[in-house]
Amino acid sequence: MGLRTTAAVLVGRAVRVAARLRGGGSAIPGNIALKIDPGFLERTIASIPNGVVAVSGSNGKSTTTNMLAAIMRRHGLKVFTNPSGGNLPQGIASALLSEVSASGRLDSDIAILEVDEGYGTRLAELLKPRTVLLLNIQIDQLNRYHEPDRVAAMLGRVAASATEGLVLNREDNFLVDLDTRIPARPNREVSFFGGTPELVAGASHGVASADRFGETTVAPGSRPAAVEVVALHGARATLAIGGTTIEVRLPARGMHYALDAAGATAAAQNVLGPLFRPQFVVEALDSLETVYGRGELLEVEGEQIEIIMMKNPASLQLNLDSLESAPEQVFLAVDEGTPDPSWIYDIDFSALDHVDGITGSKAWQFAVRLGYLGIPVGEVDLDVRRALKSFLARPAPATGHKVMILNYEQMMLIRKILGFKELEGGGAA
Amino acid sequence: MTNEGALRILHLFPRLLGLNGESGNVDILRRRAEWHGLPVEVTTYDEGAPLGFDDADLVFIGSGPVSAELLAHPLVSAVAPELRALAADGRPFLAIGAGFQLLGEKVVLEGGESLEGAGVFPVVTRHGGTRVVGDFVVESPRLGTVVGFENRGSFVDVGPHGTLGRVVYGRGNTETPGEEGFWEGDLLGTHMHGPILANNPALADVLLDSARARRRLDYAGPTPEAAEALRTIDERARQARATIAAAPLSE
Ligand SMILES: [Zn+2]
Repeated sequence: MGLRTTAAVLVGRAVRVAARLRGGGSAIPGNIALKIDPGFLERTIASIPNGVVAVSGSNGKSTTTNMLAAIMRRHGLKVFTNPSGGNLPQGIASALLSEVSASGRLDSDIAILEVDEGYGTRLAELLKPRTVLLLNIQIDQLNRYHEPDRVAAMLGRVAASATEGLVLNREDNFLVDLDTRIPARPNREVSFFGGTPELVAGASHGVASADRFGETTVAPGSRPAAVEVVALHGARATLAIGGTTIEVRLPARGMHYALDAAGATAAAQNVLGPLFRPQFVVEALDSLETVYGRGELLEVEGEQIEIIMMKNPASLQLNLDSLESAPEQVFLAVDEGTPDPSWIYDIDFSALDHVDGITGSKAWQFAVRLGYLGIPVGEVDLDVRRALKSFLARPAPATGHKVMILNYEQMMLIRKILGFKELEGGGAA
Repeated sequence: MTNEGALRILHLFPRLLGLNGESGNVDILRRRAEWHGLPVEVTTYDEGAPLGFDDADLVFIGSGPVSAELLAHPLVSAVAPELRALAADGRPFLAIGAGFQLLGEKVVLEGGESLEGAGVFPVVTRHGGTRVVGDFVVESPRLGTVVGFENRGSFVDVGPHGTLGRVVYGRGNTETPGEEGFWEGDLLGTHMHGPILANNPALADVLLDSARARRRLDYAGPTPEAAEALRTIDERARQARATIAAAPLSE
């Protein structure tokens, strides 16, 4: 490690502290470190003895990365991982900065990294993952990548970069036969995860996967699964792993969380081979905190508020479907972080019987949509602070808690307005 | 189709060409006509015999990715004569994105190959160039400010024909921002989605009016509740247009 690395680490850390004091910009320090020493990320990662597991897909990356990191830790490995949302090169470099010594050494056995599929090709070159876990391809990425086929091609390149293991969701139209559509590698072990047909079909909007146009030869669900979701009771799922079954805790109700858990378990088994212990999965998932921003409960002035993050259409649909009844008090906030909300015309909002308040620059577009659905809308106010204040002033619901449906940017802003900590470490709240 | 007194909408290829919440346009047409007191029947067509095409009072086709456009092409070609006949008979068309392209005369793909279109619209589309993604604001001589979202990697040559309007923000048909889409008689084709009718209810009403005129279908008039729903939703759409037009953004 040269002087350049030391400079990159120290300057990056100084910026990180400054950024944290200002309360923002968690990717900035990584950016600066990469400028001073462009090879910093690649070199540091290459020094990790058991290499990199890359987790990618349209939806559920953070949850699954968090689960897999916990499972690996329970197996006794020191894990380096990136916080949720920090899945671009700068974000990963930022995360590294908080863990490396000034000489650039990282005291970890293995890296479990959430990788943004848009940067997948570049990151795959940089990270040289030994194992790749791919979760799903959903049309939510259209805002950024315009075409599901292009996202599929990018994930195909990420998959092709895996040298030792490839773990795929057999319930996804695009992933079910991805292993046959990329160049084979002799030592790569391919495994699948999925759910029983009844559970997959029973998820009320399916386990939404993008339509695949053109020659579909392999039906989703048709590959044998190393780990299969066989039962689901509230926020607990039963997973079949070969001949063993285990019952695991999920972050919240929902088949998508059960599939995330199955994916993390299949990846752990793929990486660890004979060292894998199903019981450690149970213990690891039991100990996990709720992943930041999804089904999280905030306590505001003694009142519980459930946050539903509207990351994309699929996650919004799944989260709406998992509501037990129409929430009594609902607030919606969406801004430019969701540049084109056209897809709200493809969403089934029947889980809501009214919305009390809407804010954010897309508020009127949502109000139009809800109007055509005949779902009553209370106040629309583009002033977020005022709208939030008015919503919080509403009477506490007789049953349950208030619900806020927010896009990522509004979630960050509203947390800040309410005096909650900025997201910096990510993962657990 | 059964109800003689209903307005009939033909929704083409909803499965292949329904990318940007496009089916929302059909829902909006239906809700508005019903609020005005006119029942609506929607027929969807994905493939097979073009049953009931001749009953259509209004035709809608949406957008899709290039892969879906390629798959839809032979299916569109198979019903091209029927679609041209509907257009020639004055049935209004609303065509968005890939659907608009396939109903044109020709689509030249990025690799140079070309697809023969259905020939409903006298336009030629050329794929390629930098993709534009962002808010889209057009000034229409007929309707005023029309607002939506633009996401395209193609150009469209509409020759000397009429357009939806002049581009105020975004790119439009050509490399240098100028005009957007095609609008002549009862044929409207555009790359504005959003879905376009959500933000621009006046456009929905124009399409419904020309569809009704041909069959002399009258609105029975809205109930007080429906009149209130229309007032409310039109005000929300006005606010949505104003918000986008005041600070449009692109990638
Ligand atoms: Zn309420």
